Amino acid sequence: MHVLMMSMYAAMAAVVLAAVDPKSDTTRQRVLHGLKIFGSFLGIGLILSWVLFPIPW
Amino acid sequence: MQPRDALTENLATHFTDRSIPYNEPRPFPIARRTAAVTLAWLVPGAGHLVLGKRGRALIFFLTITGAFVFGLGLNGHLYWPTPDPTASFRFDLITVLWFFTQIGSGLCYVVSYVMGFGTAPIPQAAASPTFEYGNTFIILAGLLNYLVIHDAFDIAAGRKR
Repeated sequence: MHVLMMSMYAAMAAVVLAAVDPKSDTTRQRVLHGLKIFGSFLGIGLILSWVLFPIPW
Repeated sequence: MQPRDALTENLATHFTDRSIPYNEPRPFPIARRTAAVTLAWLVPGAGHLVLGKRGRALIFFLTITGAFVFGLGLNGHLYWPTPDPTASFRFDLITVLWFFTQIGSGLCYVVSYVMGFGTAPIPQAAASPTFEYGNTFIILAGLLNYLVIHDAFDIAAGRKR
């Protein structure tokens, strides 16, 4: 459930952030940029969850 | 006196620096800029529609409205600044902060609030296991729309395509 929600959040944020990116001129560049953002969200989320898991509070 | 060729070259350099290339973005008239920014806040994507960016307008509308509706469906709460006489600011600051983030989605927030969606008392709403997920998506919608409003302004001002 949590990973699904995180993925949906990452997808929605990535779509908008890629669409407003001023450095991307073509659709291909925007799609690649969006995929990078989506992957970063998921990757950083998973790393943070792994790092924080042993902390008891 | 300069030779004719040198003079022409100097003049050409001078005017090339100051002129706007044909394919560079140009600012829209002030009335259209104002309409774009106002509409961008009221309806996600509407500002881009006014500026002729139909594809992006559709993407923003679907994504931001979708996030907002999804958040409401997950029993998210619509916050309103709550008075707190004991606080130095006279308002509960966290509700002010949540309100500011959520009101960014414009009419989505206003219409839902007026119709009573997402306005159940917090203890009752928080009993739902998806309450926090819902809040997160509603806040996401509001914050993304602030970004989209800025994007519409940049396009209207001729700063980007």
